[in-house]
Amino acid sequence: MGEKMLLEMKGISKEFPGVKALDNVSFSVRPGTVHALMGENGAGKSTLMKCLFGIYYKDAGTIILDGKEVNFKSSKEALENGVAMVHQELNQALTRSVQDNLWLGRYPKAAGFVVSESQMKKKTKEIFDELNVKVDPKTIMSTMSVSQRQMVEIAKAVSYNSKIIVFDEPTSSLTEVEVEHLFKIINMLKSKGCGIIYISHKMEEILRISDDVTIMRDGTWVATRPAKDLTMDEIIKLMVGRELTNRFPEKTNKPSEVILDVKNLSGKYTRLKDATFQLRKGEVLGIAGLDGSGRTEVLENLFGSMTKDGGTITLHGKQIENRNPKDAIKNGFALITEERRATGIFGVLDIRNNTVISSLKNYKKFGMLNDKKMKQDTDWSIKAMHIKTPSQNTKIRALSGGNQQKVIIGRWLLTQPEVLLLDEPTRGIDVGAKYEIYQLILDLANQEKGVIMVSSEMPELLGVCDRIIVMSGGRVAGEVDAKTATQEEILTLAAKYV
Amino acid sequence: MFSNLKATVRNKETWTAKNIINFLVNNALFIFMTIAVIYIAIKNPRFLATSSIINILSQTAAYLPAALGIAGCIVLTGTDLSAGRIIGLTACISASLLQTVDLANKMWPNIGTLSIFVVIPLVMIIGAAFGAFNGFFVSKFKLHPFIVTLGTQLIINTILLRYVKMGNNNGAAISGLDKSYTKFIKDSFVSFGDISIPNYVWIAIVLTIIMWFIWNKTTLGKNMFALGANEEAARVSGVNVMGTTIAVFALAGAFYGISGFIEGARVGSNTVNTGLNYELDAIAACVIGGVSFVGGIGKIRGIIVGVFMLRLIFIGLTMMNINQDYFYLIKGAIILFACALDMRKYLVKK
Amino acid sequence: MKKFIAVAMATLMAVFCFAGCGKTDTNTPSPTTTDGVNAGVFYYNFADVYITSVRSNMDKMLTDLGVKFQNFDGNNNQANQLDQINTAITNGMNLLIVNIVETSSPDAAQNAVEAAKKAGIPIIFFNREVSNEVVNSYDKCAFVGTDAAEAGHMQGKLIAEVLLKDFDKYDLNKDGEISYVMFKGQEGNAEAEFRTQFAVEDADKMLKDAGKKPLKFYNSANTSKYLVDQNGAWSSQAATDYMTTILAEYTEANNNMVELVIANNDGMAEGAISALQTAGYNKGDGKMIPVFGVDAVDSAKALIKANKMSGTIMQDAEGMAKTITALVKNVKDGANLMDNTADFNVDKNVAKIRVPYGVYTG
Repeated sequence: MGEKMLLEMKGISKEFPGVKALDNVSFSVRPGTVHALMGENGAGKSTLMKCLFGIYYKDAGTIILDGKEVNFKSSKEALENGVAMVHQELNQALTRSVQDNLWLGRYPKAAGFVVSESQMKKKTKEIFDELNVKVDPKTIMSTMSVSQRQMVEIAKAVSYNSKIIVFDEPTSSLTEVEVEHLFKIINMLKSKGCGIIYISHKMEEILRISDDVTIMRDGTWVATRPAKDLTMDEIIKLMVGRELTNRFPEKTNKPSEVILDVKNLSGKYTRLKDATFQLRKGEVLGIAGLDGSGRTEVLENLFGSMTKDGGTITLHGKQIENRNPKDAIKNGFALITEERRATGIFGVLDIRNNTVISSLKNYKKFGMLNDKKMKQDTDWSIKAMHIKTPSQNTKIRALSGGNQQKVIIGRWLLTQPEVLLLDEPTRGIDVGAKYEIYQLILDLANQEKGVIMVSSEMPELLGVCDRIIVMSGGRVAGEVDAKTATQEEILTLAAKYV
Repeated sequence: MFSNLKATVRNKETWTAKNIINFLVNNALFIFMTIAVIYIAIKNPRFLATSSIINILSQTAAYLPAALGIAGCIVLTGTDLSAGRIIGLTACISASLLQTVDLANKMWPNIGTLSIFVVIPLVMIIGAAFGAFNGFFVSKFKLHPFIVTLGTQLIINTILLRYVKMGNNNGAAISGLDKSYTKFIKDSFVSFGDISIPNYVWIAIVLTIIMWFIWNKTTLGKNMFALGANEEAARVSGVNVMGTTIAVFALAGAFYGISGFIEGARVGSNTVNTGLNYELDAIAACVIGGVSFVGGIGKIRGIIVGVFMLRLIFIGLTMMNINQDYFYLIKGAIILFACALDMRKYLVKK
Repeated sequence: MKKFIAVAMATLMAVFCFAGCGKTDTNTPSPTTTDGVNAGVFYYNFADVYITSVRSNMDKMLTDLGVKFQNFDGNNNQANQLDQINTAITNGMNLLIVNIVETSSPDAAQNAVEAAKKAGIPIIFFNREVSNEVVNSYDKCAFVGTDAAEAGHMQGKLIAEVLLKDFDKYDLNKDGEISYVMFKGQEGNAEAEFRTQFAVEDADKMLKDAGKKPLKFYNSANTSKYLVDQNGAWSSQAATDYMTTILAEYTEANNNMVELVIANNDGMAEGAISALQTAGYNKGDGKMIPVFGVDAVDSAKALIKANKMSGTIMQDAEGMAKTITALVKNVKDGANLMDNTADFNVDKNVAKIRVPYGVYTG
């Protein structure tokens, strides 16, 4: 490309003890474009970005920003030179206000050391107006939604007059509506001549928003192509390095009689209202809807981790009460939560402890725990879930997201559940690993378990589920057959009570 | 468009039953305090006599500076166990440098009597130096402040034990303080008729204002809160984490220094025991007042309420002739009660 | 509704806390009336065993006398006690009975006297010595205590008497010298200083008169010749810790065993005995290192009866309480503070009454 580049990274290499994390990777961003960076987890995307921001020292290669070679020592230095990052896990001081976060590290001052609140507020307002963000600068961060907090992060990047803005999985916790707003802002930044680096797993999004796509695999550069010349299948092929004929495994499960009958389920402190639905043996029931539509609340109310405010749950024709998760487990329910890192795994514990933690009572013998049996069951789980790990003594945080998720599914299978509740089971997991999780879910249905699965990715729901109920504004807006439904149908239902 | 995203729609403030109850829960400590004051006053009307009010005020003022200092460390998700020992050391140093010239067993006979305006900065610097030492270890080696300050607490204890044996003192209490010193702390520079408020109350007020200003109006204060709320966020935003931590601990140390200076004259007799365990009361006051160990949360007015609350228990029990044995029980109960109430605010109902 | 319950509970708890505890307080009627004596009794530390026995005697005698009073725990913290005194005065108490925390300088006691003087009420110090100047600075001030030096002298005499009865038995390594350890309660406290000094001096003198060598501190490298409770709390724990450490190095097997333990109070003596018992001594079976204390608290008396301790000097808790109560009676009757004290042992030129010590050996 003869055109002038805003950012050029040439021949970047980085070695960690024993691993070549980056091997001669080159990556360039044209002004006023969105350049998507893709690759499976561990492909080297984050390492490349960390080299750009000076969090890692690169072993070889040059970085040229706006025609000048740069070598940032810290993200602060990068920020001051117009290279900003909107993190996947938002790094913010939640107990402080929006403006405090925005100007953190460079508060406008009056009279030397006194911080000027009024100036701060004025400047914040200006930037928010520009971005069409309607948030009071004095709002405390912890009271805002994730998307609002992300806007603050973007505003911060803009406030530094950044030329390059990196978005790391920006839409992973946004609803469709919020994604639209985000894209509007990205297009606006583009038109101002900014170069955007967009890291995401969501291929539909990438094909929509980006101009160029660079794909990495195993620390090496694979391809850079204009987005318009690529298809989803091609991207997957490039990322995985092999032909993935199907994104979803073949469905062979056969739903039979109704095992779970839920009537008028309502939440006491949440907006969930009068949810009524049924689940069959051997069925995968999907729950679709926008973020905040009450999807998660359905699962958590069923599981007793949220307080319900009426409604009945009937399992095998017998009415049950799940007052707390303990009751639910006893009644044969299992819940795999959305936030794997926060509520799912015990990072510093090994795989065995993470596997047996929910079924410890099965191993009690004279008040002691039977090590041998725990080992056996863990081995079973590693085999049955196809968990890739050197041993069951490995700390779970050393595994990839997909393998962590498999450990957790294995954990819950040990409790012999009849009804599995899965909340975003494939969030943050590579394409290859996703396929394995889908296969696991369908295997469970084949074993005549009932599975309820919440997801914000509609293709995934359509590909894996038998039926899908769509939530909107805390209520069930409708039910569709996964074999015949379209995304448009679901979206229409999702907007019903917004 | 963005209005759709607003997750929380703020209810208009109306006096519904729910709002009233919310109000009561959120202000339970103040309500509790008011009830306690009224109850004590009914039981013993002398509680609200002028002399009694001045007594409460004076005692609150005496324990306030240490709490103001330690609160910053708590906001940083830390604590400071060395506070009491720094107060003890600075109290002994202040007293030893400000003994009357003609005292027989004057600790340092050759220095005469220094000016208090030399001694105040000196003890502040000594306090700040120990504080900075704490802050350095906390930020440089990523040690929990509990560990670091436990270490300094012990180290300072030895320094203190050695110090009181120096000069002509030989381990005795350091007293025989010069008038310029005791007057500066204990006299009242303004009095209304026979109502006289000791000077250290005014000093405490000035210190409170200074601390409020630092917390709310300066970069250091803002960085401190950001650091306490999310260290990583502060770091990537370019906040000097080490500098801020050291500054907060040093500031606390300087406040302990002043606290020691006040205690030295207020009690009049200074030994190794001076200031012992002061940090525990100061920490208790902070947590009662809503300075959270979670980090990044706290208000100056909360600290004042906390210190006041502890003094109220202390004085109230006396006023109501309650057996002193129960003092610790009630204090313990109030700490748990206040903190549990406070945490309720942050617990999200599901 | 839940929140309402929380508020209700909070309020109830507040009221119960105060009201409930108020009821458990048996020794004091309501103080809201102003006539009659209303005394504040300020103990330096409730945790001190001897002081506790004074306190129980005082509680009984003051109740019998029919005066109102309230006890305070200084918790070995002078600032704390000062706050208590000021609070008591604002609460309308008209007699202060003070067991001052800080004794190594007169300022703390003087502060208390100034507060009493300002309120125009009498103040009686007891147990822990205050200086003559402090007592003389106010006509309504008195001190009830013991002669600080006397306990030391008596302890020294007792030690020499016990040792001379069977010197060779106590001289375990037969070197003609008794090696000893001295546990001092606190630096700078007059009682502690005198006891530490005179117990050894007087014992040495009597040993010399009997033709024996003087006592030898077990560790020649320690020139101060005592081990002190660094917290100044006269605590048995400090003595236990020291003694355990000593016994790790000084044993009969090494031929350097400590042959005598002298402690400033019974608490420290008991602490030392506890360590000795772990090492197999002083279990009442005759194998015993002589241990001496001061105070004659009940637990020490029991040890002496069981042949686990050698002797103690009796601080007469009852006599102390009786003497103080006599002065309180003067205040109650409107007499002068020091009236009717002819039977007591009063110092010259200063209102200080000395309660005599006694020897206790079972």
